[in-house]
Amino acid sequence: MTKELKVSLLILSIGAIGLVVYWFLPIKQFTMSEKKAALANERIILPNANAEILQLPEILSYQRDVQNILNSGQCVLPLPDNELKGEAKKVQNILLNNLEFLADCKFDNKIVHNDMMRILPAIISVLDPTSQKTCKLNQCYTAEKYNFVTNTTTRAIVDSDDNKMLSVKRFANMQPDISLRLTRIAQAIAINSHEVKSELNSTPTKLDISMANVRGALQESPCENSKHLCVAPTFSDHEKEQALWAVVDLTELKLVAAKWAGLGKTTTPACISERSLQNRLIMEKYCQKETYIKKNKWEMVYRLTGSDGLEIREVSFKGTPILTSAKTVDWHVAYKQKGAANIDTSMDTIIAGRRVEYSVDDNNNYLFGYNDAMGCPMFSTSVVLPFNAPQIEDLLDGSGFSITQDFRNPKWPMACNYRYENRYEFYDDGSFRVLAINKGRGCGDDAIYRPLMRIDMAIAEEENFYENNGEWQLWETEKSKRVTATDNIYPFKITARNNASNGFYIEPNYGQFNDNSRGDNATLFTTRYNEKEGNQDLLTLGSCCDLSRDGVERYTEDKEKISGENIVLWYVPRIQNDAGKGHEYCWADTVVATNGNLEVKVWPCIVGPKFIPISL
Amino acid sequence: MKKFIPILASVVIVLVSFYVVSTEKNKKHVFNLKQLNQNSVLGNFDRQKSCSKPPQFLAGLKIPQPVLIDLSQKQYKGIAVHYGEGYSKTLNPIEWQKYQYFSSYVLDEVGNIYLVPTPFISIQENTFELQENIYKIDSKTGKLSVFMHLDDVHSSPNNPYGISSIAFDCEDKTLWVGAIDESDYDSQKGVIYHIDPKSKRVMQRIKGLDALSMIVLTTIKGKQLLVGSARDSGLYAFNILAGKLAEKPMKILELPLANEHIRKIKITGKNRLELQSIPFGYNLIAQSEKKYRTFYQATWLKRKRSWKVGLKP
Repeated sequence: MTKELKVSLLILSIGAIGLVVYWFLPIKQFTMSEKKAALANERIILPNANAEILQLPEILSYQRDVQNILNSGQCVLPLPDNELKGEAKKVQNILLNNLEFLADCKFDNKIVHNDMMRILPAIISVLDPTSQKTCKLNQCYTAEKYNFVTNTTTRAIVDSDDNKMLSVKRFANMQPDISLRLTRIAQAIAINSHEVKSELNSTPTKLDISMANVRGALQESPCENSKHLCVAPTFSDHEKEQALWAVVDLTELKLVAAKWAGLGKTTTPACISERSLQNRLIMEKYCQKETYIKKNKWEMVYRLTGSDGLEIREVSFKGTPILTSAKTVDWHVAYKQKGAANIDTSMDTIIAGRRVEYSVDDNNNYLFGYNDAMGCPMFSTSVVLPFNAPQIEDLLDGSGFSITQDFRNPKWPMACNYRYENRYEFYDDGSFRVLAINKGRGCGDDAIYRPLMRIDMAIAEEENFYENNGEWQLWETEKSKRVTATDNIYPFKITARNNASNGFYIEPNYGQFNDNSRGDNATLFTTRYNEKEGNQDLLTLGSCCDLSRDGVERYTEDKEKISGENIVLWYVPRIQNDAGKGHEYCWADTVVATNGNLEVKVWPCIVGPKFIPISL
Repeated sequence: MKKFIPILASVVIVLVSFYVVSTEKNKKHVFNLKQLNQNSVLGNFDRQKSCSKPPQFLAGLKIPQPVLIDLSQKQYKGIAVHYGEGYSKTLNPIEWQKYQYFSSYVLDEVGNIYLVPTPFISIQENTFELQENIYKIDSKTGKLSVFMHLDDVHSSPNNPYGISSIAFDCEDKTLWVGAIDESDYDSQKGVIYHIDPKSKRVMQRIKGLDALSMIVLTTIKGKQLLVGSARDSGLYAFNILAGKLAEKPMKILELPLANEHIRKIKITGKNRLELQSIPFGYNLIAQSEKKYRTFYQATWLKRKRSWKVGLKP
């Protein structure tokens, strides 16, 4: 045997042993800690409103073309020539003149916005048997348009040789693959969003995107509870083996959420939706921990509760404690009707998925309604859920800033769905306001809303509460008072027991705050601090519909001494909604706007008292 | 130069062999991750022959079959039975309303109805307590009572749900029951109980999966408990061997949207399931309502060894 043969046998032997060892070596699996680390990297970003996006040339030109089409009495924005191959242009002309294809062009008797999405040669195997016969002989095309108002895809099969539409089908609540033009718009929105730039630490280009009409045809949309047309442009970072998924809403032309996710090793980023991303971010950032903020000499922490909305705690101004806690624990919603004799209260009534409570009086009137708890989107007893994270914004007049949390029923503004905001305004002069905002729409135009606000001041361990009856009168025990407009702009004040200048005047809202409010018409209660009386989450306090009681009475019935004690204020405004045309209040309506898309009109009602420091 | 040919040939052989082996090994690994879970767990299946019988009290009340059992809580609290032409007549005695709301039921081989509770929209004083029981309507008398209280179930404001799902095993006449009360946002601590209804004894407890729905499925490979997750959009399968549930479930498929959760599972044909899903977040939004429900059809494609999941046609 030659030396070379020996070497080759040695190579083969070593190779064989190596192969056997390699075959039985385990492939590296991800450990739990690695999986957890990967999940930790799945960061979610909820963008702030960005008006600049709507000024992008791609969007301006698109909106102009849509408007021109609607103004000319048509409803479908056609595909441009560069998206039409072969006979597709002819097919588009056939369809734009076909009444059956255009049958869903009107909604509420108004022309609504549709886009032609794509026109491609038909794949015979997916056609029905009749069309298959024709299309084996003739050239056929499949065309899809999307109705932005009804969230419906229309698919037509056209025989381009015979200039004939063979079939048309509508798919309600389904979205098609998008046109190249919309793809470019989605790319532009993603690239120009501040949040995307900031996450990527650079200004990305279209070349960085893997995109964008990556949607299984006719699948449910990942945003706005599947009611809008959405896509998810993705920016890959191969070094970090991560991708940033930007969820773009093409119905409203905005970025709605973004998420970092792994490149397919331990995660499945395809399974994302605006709702689930919001829920995760809100749970992890605002329900499971408190957020500290220091702004304009104010310091505080805020958190989302299980059923008491957005709570602010440990509020101080220039280092001086002001508030231990403030929150809106409930919204009582009651509707007044005549005909009490005819109602059957022997069993529960459910309207739009909510249990209705009844309260009957002696005059054949009855009140029915609900108690709405706002709170964390998961693992809670809330029925009105937070949308987006708490927003911190400067006040328009430059006098301070606000923290606002938006809560909505998922189907708002449909009937019997509600939208509330918890809002706190902090002014640079040391005053502040606790607000509850109702944005409709509710079940009818005869609603009485009562938000229950709990405000625990931190002026001193021992506090006094006074009512202004021409002179300041001390409240000795737990008490309540219906707040009516008087000559005294400050009808109440709360102070430290041993220092009357250390405290706050309370200014109820009579409509003087220039926010179109019709006043609070509130009842103010004072109670002695008790850990069990609302310091933790309160499930439900009182009846929605017994207008003679607000629910807080159960805490004042003992008439405990409050002078020189830790006092808790409860403030319960009473608002009557209004759906009358031209004077709507606590109301919302959906209309088809001039741009052919749905527009939600909101007439909010804003209530809540202002607290002004006695010594500025 | 010729003399080096054997050396070069052996190097080429080794390199090609490594390439082939490496490709095969990776294929096997991918198969392990993606396919094994699906195929080895289930196997082919068809519609299941049910042992469930209609409740006997219905015959006593001269209520003809078929009947519709209504837990929707839309018009009737508790449980209602609709019957007659177009299901236009309804049986919903006050006694059937006393334990508030139910989410699902099973019928056993003699017509007893076992029910599991659900919190529904508003919290009342006894809502949390009611989530800790399994309820039963006696086949003969039609009387609704607490069948069994599970001491280790405790629902609370942080998770108002308790016992949440139920399935009846026709083979050994036992109940499978899921509870999700212990779970919180960070950890899934759902418990599946195997209960002998005769002795009311818990025979097995498996912890770690939040079950929103369940059904017993027999395939050519054996008996499985299919579970729709309250936690994610997945459908999971546990092997049942000699009446015992395997410790670890296998995820066999996933719905397309992350916030869809399978609340009902039906076997509708050969290798075909109907899955009804809702958004679910352990809160009190009534998302079991019709407008929130989505119906999917999942078909096991034997040749492709994968599930096809699409909206129900």
